[in-house]
Amino acid sequence: MPDEKRVAEKQRQRTLETLRTAEEVARFPAVVPPVAYPIETLVPEARQQTPAVGQRATRVDGRLHGLGQTKYIDDLAFPGMLHAKIKRAGIASARIKSVDTRAAEAVPGVMAVLTGAEVPVNSFGPSFQDQPVLAHERVFHAGDGVAAVAAVTEQIALEALERIVVEYEPLPAVLDPLEALKEDSPKVHPPASNIYATKMIKKGDVEEGFAASYRVFEGRFRTQMVEHVSLEPHAAVAEWDPNGRVTIWSTLGRITLARGDVARTLKLPMNRVRMVGTIVGGNFGGKNEITQEPVLALLSKKTGRAVKGVYTRGEEFTSTTTRHPIVMDYKTGVTKEGRILARKVRLVLDGGAYCSWSETTLGKAAILSAGPYNIENLHVEAYVVYTNKTMTGAMRGFGAPQVCFAYESHMDDIAAALKIDPLDIRLLNVFGEGSLSPTGQVLASVVVKESLAKAAERFGWREERS
Amino acid sequence: MKQRGRGIACMWYPIGFTVAANPSAAVVKVNEDGTATLLTGTVESGQGSLTVLGQIAAEELGIAADDVHVVSGDTDTTPMDTGAIASRTTYVTGNAVRLAAEKAKAVLFEVAAPMLGVRPEQLEARDRKIQVKNFPQRNLGIGEVAYHAQVVKGQPPIGSATWNPPTVPMDPQTGQGKPFNTYVYATQIAEVDVDDETGEVEVLRIVAAHDCGTAINPMLVEGQVEGGIAMGIGFALQEEMLFDAAGRHVNPSLTNYIVPTSLDMPEIEVDIVASYDPTGPFGAKGVGEPTSVPTAAAILNAIHDAVGVRITSLPATAEKVLAAIKAKRAPEPKQLPAS
Repeated sequence: MPDEKRVAEKQRQRTLETLRTAEEVARFPAVVPPVAYPIETLVPEARQQTPAVGQRATRVDGRLHGLGQTKYIDDLAFPGMLHAKIKRAGIASARIKSVDTRAAEAVPGVMAVLTGAEVPVNSFGPSFQDQPVLAHERVFHAGDGVAAVAAVTEQIALEALERIVVEYEPLPAVLDPLEALKEDSPKVHPPASNIYATKMIKKGDVEEGFAASYRVFEGRFRTQMVEHVSLEPHAAVAEWDPNGRVTIWSTLGRITLARGDVARTLKLPMNRVRMVGTIVGGNFGGKNEITQEPVLALLSKKTGRAVKGVYTRGEEFTSTTTRHPIVMDYKTGVTKEGRILARKVRLVLDGGAYCSWSETTLGKAAILSAGPYNIENLHVEAYVVYTNKTMTGAMRGFGAPQVCFAYESHMDDIAAALKIDPLDIRLLNVFGEGSLSPTGQVLASVVVKESLAKAAERFGWREERS
Repeated sequence: MKQRGRGIACMWYPIGFTVAANPSAAVVKVNEDGTATLLTGTVESGQGSLTVLGQIAAEELGIAADDVHVVSGDTDTTPMDTGAIASRTTYVTGNAVRLAAEKAKAVLFEVAAPMLGVRPEQLEARDRKIQVKNFPQRNLGIGEVAYHAQVVKGQPPIGSATWNPPTVPMDPQTGQGKPFNTYVYATQIAEVDVDDETGEVEVLRIVAAHDCGTAINPMLVEGQVEGGIAMGIGFALQEEMLFDAAGRHVNPSLTNYIVPTSLDMPEIEVDIVASYDPTGPFGAKGVGEPTSVPTAAAILNAIHDAVGVRITSLPATAEKVLAAIKAKRAPEPKQLPAS
């Protein structure tokens, strides 16, 4: 071998070696180094004291997290376990003309490919079953899964996804909630209307209230779509056993509901489904319903092996629920002193491609939209519409952060116009013990006044501003 | 120049589902040494729910948090639960846990009563003992009673219970009804600096006063409030999923969808407002979601206070704030000094 070649070969080897070492350093070890646990585990005092309520007791899982010993889904491994990946549509609205999986099946290391046609009952959802497990015939948003692959490694599964050929016939899409509200807009789930739920709250007579008002204020507020961004993505492992029973370890926070959904989509009796909830690295409402669980179960059934699926950060955004963007119109009539006489609210929630938890969000947003204020004349109308975007669902507050932004911004605008201190206008209007809620409920254990006073005192709200 | 501003926002928030049933069940087993095992179908997602549920069971049995081991999240072994949603775990699952522990305790009292020569209703469980009310010197260790119940009497102290918050359906036309059994309240006040040359908003301090009924574990309440505020800051100032004209999400990664990190966190002061709800376990309600509700509103009001512009759409990015400042300045005629 000529010298130059030998040198080049040596350099190549060295580069490879460097890359290999770098990769090893970058990865966490597959097996945690052995730790000798002390025989006696020290327990913080608060955990040992009675009475237990009111103690600042540390969490039992705290030690595990601190030592890096917590077992998340990605830490679980089974002999012969396969890795699943889902192909995403990447188109917002389309008819699926064909799905060709032959080339993917031919990739060495690919053990099974699954399409929507193979799912026994290809729909789920907590209010309406409008969401397919894998899109079949039609795509409703770009993050829809159209096929799934189980392979011996994640890389091979990803490689196989590239070779699945899906032919689409693009269909008109609707993306803006106000557009979707219109009669002539493209229908997301034809022939059904895009408005899939409404909520009304009426109390007193708003028009009379406005007429009696010293001033009437109006405002429109809008919020954006956001993701929960849990540190741990959606992840699950499914193992089908020879008795026809499936066990699924999952990051879901609602295993009772999930068992029902899995049993329904797979057409299995409930006693043949076992859902195990592990320690979850963040939920915030994003892990309330099944995502890939039926897919993993079916791939496990097809291959006779355990199958693991871990969503990428991208899939977390495009293929799981998000927070509803809301267009909020407020009209409020007040007295000269700042007391609210009447309020009219109209909410349009962008529901995305599927209902998910939209009905619940709609209800809570509508009820809470008046704010924690005594308002005798109230009219709230709220709509949630389908759009060809990532589905919106449960997220920390079910519509409350959105409407709170609107009613509290609106409140400050009113206070500024009437030259009233923002704290005072709130103290004047807030609920007290026994106040009637917008739905006519008598409220108990109401401490909103106390919370205003406490926060203002701690902040130094009444102090002279420098 | 940086302009300082402050903003206030208060809120109300319900605990549990809107009208719909959302039951929880629980099983409590008292072991022969007086420690206990709690079975619950809910799942820990980092908020500390299992610790709180353990404390509720411990309180009812008169033992400490560490004496209760919590088994959770397995449909084969744990009872049904509506799960970690709607800020309901402490209130709804907590009530089920308390009732289950009460039933296990009733077995212990029945066994202990003849041993102490009193009737079961004269007993109470405190400090790991079963004792006669108003006569704490007459007592037995809870372990002794539990052992006696299991080994001598053949009555293992096990209790199971379910709970579902009572509601009244809403009228479809007027919305009148009782959709929730209880609500919590909170106020947050934000202090911000807004740079009127760049539009950048820095949150300096947030004071949060939250009602959660009885704080079963004040440390975990504070943790929830801090986490909720972190999320609220992202919602107020930074986070937004953007779509192109074809409906494809264009920023699906954490390099272009920016969430707040520890460096973005302001100074947070948490106050727990004293309150007691007789319908909750030991007066507790809940705190999970509400912590994130008023944050954005308070920050946006603080921006308004600082630079006089009302941002009506979230997030209040630097670009948006700056554009609003410029728009506000534009119509103002130049002030020439009067000579």
